[in-house]
Amino acid sequence: MDFKPQASTAGPSPADWNPDADDTLICVDVHQETHDVKTFTFASPDGRQFGFLAGQYFLFDLELGGDAESRCYSVSSSPCRKNAISITVKRVPGGKVSNWLHDNLSPGVHVRANGPLGRFVRPSGRKFLFLSGGSGITPVMSMVRELADTSEPADAVFMHAGRTPKDLIFREELAYLANKLKALRLHFLPEEVAGERNWPGLSGRISREFLGLAVPDLAERIVMCCGPAPFMAAARRNTAELGVPSSNYIEESFDAAALEEDVLPVSDPVESATFKVEFSKQSRTIDVSGEQTVLSCAKKSGVRIPSSCANGLCGTCKSKLVSGTVDMKHSGGIRQREIDAGFFLPCCSKPLSDLVIDR
Amino acid sequence: MLQTFSSSISPLLDARADGHSLPQGLYTRTDVFEADVEVFFRRHWICIGLECDVPEPGDASVIEIGNSSLILLRDDDEQIRVVHNVCRHRGSRLLDPGTTVVSKLVCPYHQWTYELSGELSYAPHMGIDFDKSCKNLKPVNFKSIGGLIYVCLSDNPPEDIARLEQVMAERLAPYDIRNAKVAFQSDVIEKGNWKLTIENNRECYHCSANHPELCVSFVDLDFGFDPTSLSPEDRKEAEQHHALYAERTKTWEAEGHPSSAVEPVIDGATNFRSQRLIIAGAGESQTPDATAASAKLLGSMKRKDLGDMHLWGHNSWNHFMGDHAVTAIVIPLSADRTLVRTKWLVHKDAVEGVDYDLDKLTSVWLATTDQDAELVARSHAGIEDPAYEPSAYSRFTEGHLDQFATWYINRMRAHGL
Repeated sequence: MDFKPQASTAGPSPADWNPDADDTLICVDVHQETHDVKTFTFASPDGRQFGFLAGQYFLFDLELGGDAESRCYSVSSSPCRKNAISITVKRVPGGKVSNWLHDNLSPGVHVRANGPLGRFVRPSGRKFLFLSGGSGITPVMSMVRELADTSEPADAVFMHAGRTPKDLIFREELAYLANKLKALRLHFLPEEVAGERNWPGLSGRISREFLGLAVPDLAERIVMCCGPAPFMAAARRNTAELGVPSSNYIEESFDAAALEEDVLPVSDPVESATFKVEFSKQSRTIDVSGEQTVLSCAKKSGVRIPSSCANGLCGTCKSKLVSGTVDMKHSGGIRQREIDAGFFLPCCSKPLSDLVIDR
Repeated sequence: MLQTFSSSISPLLDARADGHSLPQGLYTRTDVFEADVEVFFRRHWICIGLECDVPEPGDASVIEIGNSSLILLRDDDEQIRVVHNVCRHRGSRLLDPGTTVVSKLVCPYHQWTYELSGELSYAPHMGIDFDKSCKNLKPVNFKSIGGLIYVCLSDNPPEDIARLEQVMAERLAPYDIRNAKVAFQSDVIEKGNWKLTIENNRECYHCSANHPELCVSFVDLDFGFDPTSLSPEDRKEAEQHHALYAERTKTWEAEGHPSSAVEPVIDGATNFRSQRLIIAGAGESQTPDATAASAKLLGSMKRKDLGDMHLWGHNSWNHFMGDHAVTAIVIPLSADRTLVRTKWLVHKDAVEGVDYDLDKLTSVWLATTDQDAELVARSHAGIEDPAYEPSAYSRFTEGHLDQFATWYINRMRAHGL
């Protein structure tokens, strides 16, 4: 292990991590958060300090058995603690990267990473709802840790949904912070109470009724949401119905990485079920789950859509979305003005509702 | 000296008499047309469009010159790019002629995908060892001169474009053509040789009889007259007009608006002419009543009385006025077909129906362009007739045609023909 911690009091302050020049991190700690979630803490081998905003992520380039894999992971630690950054990763059955991290990443191991990246950061404002599902907790955890470190007088409701009480990440720390921070209110929402029969609160999926009761002043809050796409879709719809203007609803817009392997079930049965996707010109309707891309299901069902890269890069599959909404993670193959005109790329879009496509 | 090479076109060039129109074959023969495209549209700087043809990132416009197809686009950094419309895989055209919006440049044949910089970013099924770096789209040599896009398809572009650049960058600056808006575009295919299109544009001998709309704002006296043909009254008017010109040019220049004629039209490779012309009548703009068509003036223009900054090249003509500009490019299609693409530009924030009336903006040059197409067709048809023989240009009104024909012969010679 060649990491040399910087003495915090002696000598000049160490240089900052420079995203253009620095790309190596060294793992300095691994911490088991829950039965299937670990937090990995990294430092710069040169002792550089990290400057980032709560909510930002790092892109990790990993060599897994000869294959190059890239994943984005939000930083879960506080931006006020600059010597190291932490990411918090859930092990997913069959998940290539999450399993590798859980099984192989230990103190002393070097990894390549770029960052900080991303624009999921708190806007100016005093009242927030931090809303997360599963491992989507990481960027908002960074935010609440920052509030604790800075003593910023923000009024924050922190709501976290998980499968069962034992899946609630950072449960003890959040309880401690809620005890310490005057203006932090905490709501955990396990889907089932399995394993903790005496769970004192409600259980179930996020819903309009639950949000209305738990956060009566929801409409006055800025909502910062991160979780699997169907969870965010339900959150977006429910909060909108409860009066949150879309300008005050902010969601982490990547899920290709940290959340791609996450299959947290969500509140609304419609959301977690499959959607009807109609191809109007071919008079075909197929079922597509919220976890699959429109293109991959179309191909399997024999629906014809021209395509090539399957990655949101080339735009060959560009199609008119007549109705419905999708969660699209493109790589530059479509312009915002085309999106505004109703087009989308089926190769990198998962349905958030029933769809009608002009194909 | 031993003549080692003489093209079949050479005798036609030899046959051109000073002061006379060109021999028939230079207007009609296919081999001459092909040589013209090669010499004047590939080895000289030509104007192909405007920055404001592609106002937003992802806007692309395809222009075809002979066998070449060029993509003018604006990349994600808001920079103008011009690339060849030829996929580096098997040569397929990437985009169709006309304008479109692209996120990447994707070949419709096998989906080779290029960044707007021309860089090849995705080439499916070419293997892991395939070197994409040497397969970027070929860039085209171009210059944006005051927002006008000039390209040269030769590897040795004429260096005297610097003169045009130096003169026009200053003259065009206040009009901010880069940030103007194309309010209207018209494509007219004239049934004539491209040189007849240019010749027709270089003289206003024909104006008073053929362009009643344009003559409201145009001063045909600017384009020459035979003093003996004028009535005493007209002659007096002409003299007054010339005195006014001298005075107006002096005033404009004193106020910091370059106005006097710059005209390298015979010597050198890059043929152009620029001068600030007086607008007749109300004096503001080339409209049916010579008043401004747009209430929002171009760029940083503060006044409407700065006349008409005109610019000719061998494939374009342009009029920049306080409230709007009219630009035209000429693209040869065949020996007897020529595309004239005219654009009307206004301030980018000018709103149709609010700041300007589209009909008032366009009617003069729409009418003029149609009339010119008719004149060029008549001219070409007559020149194809065996009875045609070259004749003398008027030394009073067609001096620019003689200069253009002379320059044409010189440039053909300079390229070995």
